[in-house]
Amino acid sequence: MTWLVNLILAICIIPSALIMFFIGFPKEPEKRKMIFGVRDNPKFHEGDAAKRVKEIAGECRKGALMITVFICVATVILVFLPSTTITSLAIMLLVFALFLIAIPFGKGNTELKSLKKELGITKSGTVYADLKNTNVVHGLKMPLLILPNALILLESVFAMLVDFGVIRITETLAIEKYSLTMMSLSFLFIGVIIVPVAYLMDNMRNTVISKDSNINANYSRAKKKCWADLFIAMSWTNALAVAVLMVLYMLIYNDIAVLAGVLAYTLVLMVIVLIVAKDQIAIEKRYARDTELELLDDDDCWILGMFYYNPNDTRLNVEKRFGVGGTVNIAHPAGKVIMIIIAILLIGSIGFIIWAAVTGNLDMTSINTPF
Amino acid sequence: MIIRIDEYSDVPIYMQIRNQIVMGISSGELKGGEQLPTVRALALEIGINTMTVSKTYQLLKSEGYIMTDRKNGARVRENIAQSGEMSEENKTELKRIVSEARLSGVSKTELKKLIDEFY
Repeated sequence: MTWLVNLILAICIIPSALIMFFIGFPKEPEKRKMIFGVRDNPKFHEGDAAKRVKEIAGECRKGALMITVFICVATVILVFLPSTTITSLAIMLLVFALFLIAIPFGKGNTELKSLKKELGITKSGTVYADLKNTNVVHGLKMPLLILPNALILLESVFAMLVDFGVIRITETLAIEKYSLTMMSLSFLFIGVIIVPVAYLMDNMRNTVISKDSNINANYSRAKKKCWADLFIAMSWTNALAVAVLMVLYMLIYNDIAVLAGVLAYTLVLMVIVLIVAKDQIAIEKRYARDTELELLDDDDCWILGMFYYNPNDTRLNVEKRFGVGGTVNIAHPAGKVIMIIIAILLIGSIGFIIWAAVTGNLDMTSINTPF
Repeated sequence: MIIRIDEYSDVPIYMQIRNQIVMGISSGELKGGEQLPTVRALALEIGINTMTVSKTYQLLKSEGYIMTDRKNGARVRENIAQSGEMSEENKTELKRIVSEARLSGVSKTELKKLIDEFY
């Protein structure tokens, strides 16, 4: 049974690693607006600088490729090794090893910032705002986001009623007590996070790329719509996943079926993220020729190109430079709290997995299986 | 209308916004009665404190370029009071610009041409 859990983790790890690699390290980064989180500059395309940028990009891509291959190969090997606590622990820690792919990105970011200094690219502090588009460009239809999450809330209430014996579906429920409640509440918790994040992303500052207000509005709307679609699709997937998992838990009750359900859910999420990433790239390409204004050079505020720290910016959320979606301004008081919570959750998860392995709680042989 | 804020300029941000809104009204980019963004929305858009935008709007209101009310927010005035005179402050500024132009070797005709272009 542990083998099956390892297999499911492996199927999640490998596509995640590949997605991170292909989004973060494109073959021709010089054709993107951002190169390793540093805003592209005309000087990057001239003579020796162009050669240097290509070298940096090539080295970082190679490094990222090595890490990606290592993670994928290690995952495959671990799946085929005899299932023990050690292999389970190793494969779970490989989930966190995915963050290692970000290291070459940070390296590339640091080197390009140095190159900027060498080239004497002075920091321009110009901010543009389009008076006609403030607070009017949105892509999110709130009811479409609220509805699936309300559905999850109802499903959670139903799960609690079943778990507490108020509603009886089958004579004897073969699952552990409160499993349904725990599962549905986990999805509800995700929804509680998704709704405010989607709202914040939709109310994010518009990007001014042109002197034409219509182009700015269309560009910002397209990007916001893309994010809105991501959050709505995720919410509906969650609502559907809770319903399917509840049916699997209560009626078919079989661990393999439940795990297959979880696997299908993860794969659907990955497909959604891939589609959104593809759309984002298409939007950038479409509007590249309309970009005529030099945007604010805030590269120095991006630590390693991934963490945004700008005390002069009052915004809480900004668009990510590595990956898809948004991130928080760590200089913002709420941003600090969010980052601390994320750090605690991350360290706590790793600590918990190691603790579970040491105390023998990582043994999954007791899971119900028909084999 | 696009507002351009230079974070490294000696001119305070509230003044930069004020100047550009005035220029927008003068050039016709912002028409009489046109709605301006709310203080909060504009502050979010530029990434500055709401107090800064509030200060700009107060200044523009006191100068008679915009009007504000609780229901409709800020709007460009339909009829801006025309005194037909330049303020002392602007006269001093113009004097400085003319002096600098003369020192740079810009001819009077060239300067007049520029004024005609901007007027």
